[in-house]
Amino acid sequence: MKQLIQKLTEVYGPSGHEDAVRDLVRAEIQGLADSVTIDPLGNLIAIRKGKGRGGRKVALAAHLDEIGLIVSHIDARGFVRVTNVGGVRPLYAAGGRVRFTNGAIGAIGVETRRERPDHIPTLNDLYVDFGVARAADVPVRVGDVGAFMGAFTVLPGGRVMSKSLDDRAGVAVLIEALRRLKTSPHEVAFMFTVQEELGLRGAGPAAFTFEPEIVLAVDVTATGDTPNGARMAVALGAGAAIKAKDTGLLVDPRLRDLLVKRATEARLPYQLEVLEGGRTDAAEMQLARGGAVAGCISIPCRYVHAPSEVVDLGDVEAAVGLLVATLSKPIEL
Amino acid sequence: MDLIAHLKTLCATPGLSGHERPIREVIASAWADLADEVQVGALGSLTALKRGRGRKLRPRVMIAAHMDNIGLMVASVQGEFLRVSPIGGIDARVMPGQPVTVHGRRDLPGLVVAPSDFLLPAGLRGGVVTVDELLIDLGLSAAEVARQVRVGDVVSFAQGQASLNGGLLASPAIDNRASVAAVTVCLEALAGRAHDWDVLAVATTQEEVGLHGALTSAYALAPQLAIAIDVTFGSGPAVRDFADRCYELGKGPTIAFGPNLHPVVYKHLVDCAERGGFSYQSEPVAAHSGTDARAIQIAREGVPCGLLGVPLRNMHTPVEVVHPQDVYTAGRLMADYIAGLGPDYLARLARELD
Repeated sequence: MKQLIQKLTEVYGPSGHEDAVRDLVRAEIQGLADSVTIDPLGNLIAIRKGKGRGGRKVALAAHLDEIGLIVSHIDARGFVRVTNVGGVRPLYAAGGRVRFTNGAIGAIGVETRRERPDHIPTLNDLYVDFGVARAADVPVRVGDVGAFMGAFTVLPGGRVMSKSLDDRAGVAVLIEALRRLKTSPHEVAFMFTVQEELGLRGAGPAAFTFEPEIVLAVDVTATGDTPNGARMAVALGAGAAIKAKDTGLLVDPRLRDLLVKRATEARLPYQLEVLEGGRTDAAEMQLARGGAVAGCISIPCRYVHAPSEVVDLGDVEAAVGLLVATLSKPIEL
Repeated sequence: MDLIAHLKTLCATPGLSGHERPIREVIASAWADLADEVQVGALGSLTALKRGRGRKLRPRVMIAAHMDNIGLMVASVQGEFLRVSPIGGIDARVMPGQPVTVHGRRDLPGLVVAPSDFLLPAGLRGGVVTVDELLIDLGLSAAEVARQVRVGDVVSFAQGQASLNGGLLASPAIDNRASVAAVTVCLEALAGRAHDWDVLAVATTQEEVGLHGALTSAYALAPQLAIAIDVTFGSGPAVRDFADRCYELGKGPTIAFGPNLHPVVYKHLVDCAERGGFSYQSEPVAAHSGTDARAIQIAREGVPCGLLGVPLRNMHTPVEVVHPQDVYTAGRLMADYIAGLGPDYLARLARELD
């Protein structure tokens, strides 16, 4: 699991440029599904046919893309101005490194703002420095996209740190669930979606095509266990988070209760999640066509959208276990 | 039907967004006898189908009233107390002191309390206490709270109902149970009347969090025409500056017009009100109506929509106030409009649009 997450996080894939991640996932799931397709938006969809009776059409979604930056302007001295691809936090970005699609790497500088020493940087204060002396030597053009750098690292406590654990940890959960799922009565679509960070753009059309009855997103969620952090009843290492609510989804209480039941039966650690300020693919997928019952299994993650996101592998394991346990049995709501 | 008793029952039944099962069951039993078929959609919306006359493929008109209401959800359990997260647009100013019901392992009475001003972090003193700083006190020990309540449980307002002078009713959840009651009035009025169109009366879910039930129901049912009904801002104390956006209680429902709504449907609703002697008020809606009409209008290839509003004071507080006569009038007006729809009505809409 650790190796899989490492491989996935090391691949470059800002929103709209998910090709390399998609190729890696396709290689990882080879031979495990009855069909593997790529839809017009770029979503990778692996479908496992159901065996036996009483099966439902279930769509699982984890997004391939990560947040990044896009070049908006290049000044005469070669400093590159950027704007966000997804929910970039300038405080997390400043001082970091960004790698563009062509491989060019730059430092993310921040204006000093001597006149306003207490000023909190905004995107407008950031620039990318390629170490060039003039605009002609800048290796990128307006419209080029880059992703933050943040190497996969195992922390002394065993937890892992990397850029893009949002949502490569979720992608790993789907891949691992596909490997471990022996038999299921359900027709399950494992959807590896694109452009989630830009507003859940891939997931809706994917759900429109598949017409699921039940949707489960697997994505990271914030935690409330850091110094003076958010007020949230989710902690790293306390198990998979079964979502009750976020900004875009009120989980059907029947599905939430079923997930709790399956976690309890399988003796998997879990916690219930209410997230203020965040959405997942499930929010969009529940609205496709006539609607679908939607829920979400979340992986607690500290510093979401920083180049050093941190997750606990025990929580990731619990998410895989919960997904497999849920898919192995009938889903009666 | 005793309209006031029906309205009071609807308002007293829990039905928070995404958790509409209790209110859906009450509405289903009220509508079952007035319709040919009742079904529940994927997101929990309830549809009562009342067939039109004639054996051919009949056009379908959807009447949509959302059945969900705003409330709170338990975000964390902190010893004896609960922290909450809003479901829908909660007005934090009126929360402290509100009685609530926490729907835990069993229903528990509680109170919304705000910490004393001097116990709040410095930046939050002297102003409105935001929802995330509020607590719910159940009067139970921490151990008992832990047994009875968990994150994700929903919380309803338990403020009682009051009959005010002049026939006004005050209650939580009048937004939008008033409109559900109006649909009941409409179905009852249609019971004895012939109509060419199939009527799909829909109690939609999750309107307060993004029109989800209306969007998915409109896709699933594929109506050719729709009337949404929701509450609208009633005139009352201190709305002078917004007088042009508020409507008198007791002077009839509003008939809305604007880009979200079909101009000819608006005109026909007005004609219908004039002919039937119903009091009504015209309501301009310059942009997104904020109602189910918005979601239905853009479902599939698009649906011509009308919108009725029931004037309501104190919207999104537990003391919403409505005049039941407006509810009744709205229901009768919808019934007259529907009964007047001929088989060629869509062609007529297109013709009169020029």
